[in-house]
Amino acid sequence: MPITPEHVGRRYPAAPAYVVSRAKIAEFADALCDDNPAYRGDEPVAPPTFAAVIAAQAWDALFGDEELGLALNRTMHADQTFTFRRPLRPDDAVIAQLSIEKVRNRGNLDMVTVLVDLAVDGETVCEARSTLMHTGEDADA
Amino acid sequence: MPEATVGQELAELRVRVTRSTVVRYSGASTDFNEIHFSDRHARAIGLPSVVAHGMWTMGAGLKVVTDWVGDPGRVVSYFVRFTRPVAVPDTDEGTEVVYTGKVTKVDDGVATVAITATCGDDQVLGAAKAEVRID
Repeated sequence: MPITPEHVGRRYPAAPAYVVSRAKIAEFADALCDDNPAYRGDEPVAPPTFAAVIAAQAWDALFGDEELGLALNRTMHADQTFTFRRPLRPDDAVIAQLSIEKVRNRGNLDMVTVLVDLAVDGETVCEARSTLMHTGEDADA
Repeated sequence: MPEATVGQELAELRVRVTRSTVVRYSGASTDFNEIHFSDRHARAIGLPSVVAHGMWTMGAGLKVVTDWVGDPGRVVSYFVRFTRPVAVPDTDEGTEVVYTGKVTKVDDGVATVAITATCGDDQVLGAAKAEVRID
């Protein structure tokens, strides 16, 4: 049974808390070739797209849901949106929870929009919304 | 805070990306998809070679905006469409992504910046835009 619009609204249990660290923030900023001093020093903030690292861990629930039949190696990331309430900081224990927001089936192609809510101390700090393009297994074309 | 006016162009950003850059992002992001380090895996799904992570291309480009406003905590939203992959040759030079930013709207203390990302002849991000507090 493939993913269908009937799965919209499905919400998965949150992944274990991800605790942000200074070392990881600096490592991520280096990887983005970004020398902004805000990412370093005693009171750094995380680069905004660091949220994707935590959000991606919540994707495991989606790809682990056997009912949907989604395979990571047949999935393309079509677009990505973040909305930020505040930057992530060291020692934030981030709870990421994924829900299925939209599903469109077009032939062998499924367009799935997932929303990952990132919360610290019960308050949303970032929403990461991703559209995933998934190709079904029986693709002959 | 810098002044923001509609039509204003932000400083262009050129980012060199080599295989080392891609490997470093794999480690930092914990995205170990084989297409980011193995030509064999990349070609198996129709890519020309190892490609940069879409999230790297997105993340590196935001520097156009954060260098302008200084504090990355001012970014309130960021959207991109992934239109073309950034193929990264196994050479010392690698390749280069060129980013531009242009203010398209200023409203209630928030500036909207349209971002372009080009690698060679390809637009690698589509409809990219960030909203940033400038009050």
